[in-house]
Amino acid sequence: MRTLFVSFSLFSLLAFLVVLSLSFGAVSLSISEILSGFTPDSEFYFTIHEYRFPRAVLAVLVGAMMALSGALVQGVIRNPLASPDVLGVSQGAGLAAVVLMTLFPSVSIFWLPWAALAGGISAALLLWALCGAHSSAIKLAITGVAMAALYSSAVDFLMLTRPLEINNALLWLTGSLWGRGWDQVFMILPWLVLLPLAFWLAKRMNLISLGDEVATSLGVSIPVTRLSALAIAVGLTASCVAICGPIGFLGLIAPHLARRLVGGRHQILLPCSMVVGMVILLLADLLARTINPPIELPAGIMTAIIGAPYFLWLLLKTR
Amino acid sequence: MLRFLSAISIVFLFCFSAFSHAVTVEDSKGTFTLDYTPQRIVVLEFSFADALASVGISPVGIADDKDATRVLKEVRDVIGDWQSVGTRSQPSLEVIASLKPDLIIADIGRHESVYEDLQKIAPTLILPSRRETYEDSLKAAAIIGKVVGKEAQIQQRLQEHRVSMQNSAKQLPENAEVQFTVARKDSLYIHTANSYAGGVIHALGLQNPPLSRDDKQASRQIGLEQLLAINPEYLIVGEYTSPNVVDNWQSEPLWSVLKVARNKHVHRVNGNVWARCRGIMAAERMAQDLVTVLAK
Repeated sequence: MRTLFVSFSLFSLLAFLVVLSLSFGAVSLSISEILSGFTPDSEFYFTIHEYRFPRAVLAVLVGAMMALSGALVQGVIRNPLASPDVLGVSQGAGLAAVVLMTLFPSVSIFWLPWAALAGGISAALLLWALCGAHSSAIKLAITGVAMAALYSSAVDFLMLTRPLEINNALLWLTGSLWGRGWDQVFMILPWLVLLPLAFWLAKRMNLISLGDEVATSLGVSIPVTRLSALAIAVGLTASCVAICGPIGFLGLIAPHLARRLVGGRHQILLPCSMVVGMVILLLADLLARTINPPIELPAGIMTAIIGAPYFLWLLLKTR
Repeated sequence: MLRFLSAISIVFLFCFSAFSHAVTVEDSKGTFTLDYTPQRIVVLEFSFADALASVGISPVGIADDKDATRVLKEVRDVIGDWQSVGTRSQPSLEVIASLKPDLIIADIGRHESVYEDLQKIAPTLILPSRRETYEDSLKAAAIIGKVVGKEAQIQQRLQEHRVSMQNSAKQLPENAEVQFTVARKDSLYIHTANSYAGGVIHALGLQNPPLSRDDKQASRQIGLEQLLAINPEYLIVGEYTSPNVVDNWQSEPLWSVLKVARNKHVHRVNGNVWARCRGIMAAERMAQDLVTVLAK
């Protein structure tokens, strides 16, 4: 009953935010103007169909994928403070992107998402090579955090030695939905095949949360489940980061809020995290666009403003 | 028959006049063609506004970071009012679209990722601005002048500009070593010979001090010891904030060893003009600043 109520409220909130995202911005539009914006000869065609709508779609997709990725990582690491960041994927992607922007400024911006994607996936493969398939969750997390710190320091070094390029790099590293449109939506769509795979793992993840021994005695192969869950999380994070930059705290707080709303059963927790992720990112981008128009802040600043205090509160509470 | 001929000739003239407006230039993405004279122009960098102002055209929108004072005063005086379209790094595409422009001038360094979207709003001329040198900025101004149908005016303006720069050069000490730096609260950045300011300094018959490090970077953060290693004759400080790092350094013993400190050749200028604005009028303003502080 509670689940039903929560999902109903979440979906209403999501629908409401989509409408708000379409109607507000530097120029406010009425409902009828929004609807007319979907026809090619309308005055608002660009604003709605080419700008706000694809951006809202992308916010929904990326919010869902980052949140799902966070829920998977928290599930297999068995720590609510974990997030895809502990795998070093976002930082690896960030390093690849910053290398491209600072050392090869003449390379077309077209290659940026591909470089970031390759960086993110390489970071995950490197972590796997360092830890092996049979290592404990805690070893994986600590190695991942160490690698992430290494990538971040390399990024800092590059930005400090090439000050002329840092504006673009900093902007990318904050994570933003600005300038993203249908092309980016189509780039991210193929990665949605990972969603059913994640749901298929839900039952085993419930058992993993009982502890490695119990789960093994109940017939779950820990290494296989962990590896598949982390691989899916890596794919989701890397594809999102490649397109929007590493939007901070999203993968951490969305699954956490969802856990408070619907509990820890992964069959419910995973979809609920996704919807919470959609709501957070849509809200963050809406605020970023409307707080002081025509200035567009990166959405990553907004998620950090919401996420950082929440994370602190979480840290103090779990002690 | 006469009527027929005159009709033909009118049609012919009409076609010809329409055709004569077509301009083709090379921009950073290849060939750019425009077959009308643009009336509503949106520019996404200050140097482009400078180029338009140099031929007396007012853009309808500028990406001015929502701070009109960032546009060079000399430019503001010419172009009057405009609508802000947001920051230069992330201009608001919906505001640009709402202005219904018939030409957008964008910067390849910042706006390449939204080039396709800008093209959907209006024909977009994309040129280098952010990483450009002084000579590049004059070339970009010539291209902009041609596209907006003022080729003769921009060429004449560029000619006047060269004369104006030479006149300023005559009032400045010849071959003096001038180092331009940007001061933030606690960091100092040198702009090298490859930077825009370095190009203006060179064009004024002054010298950029040789750097011990052989790199092609236009800007780099340095410490006080590195500044001492360069030890220029004149130090121009573009202030982003005040008080800043230079004020802090003045109390350090090492500072008093600098040639500029002993000869009192540290001069402060407007950091916004020197580091953010580029273009014909900006370069003339920079030359004026130098004449004011360094005149023989």
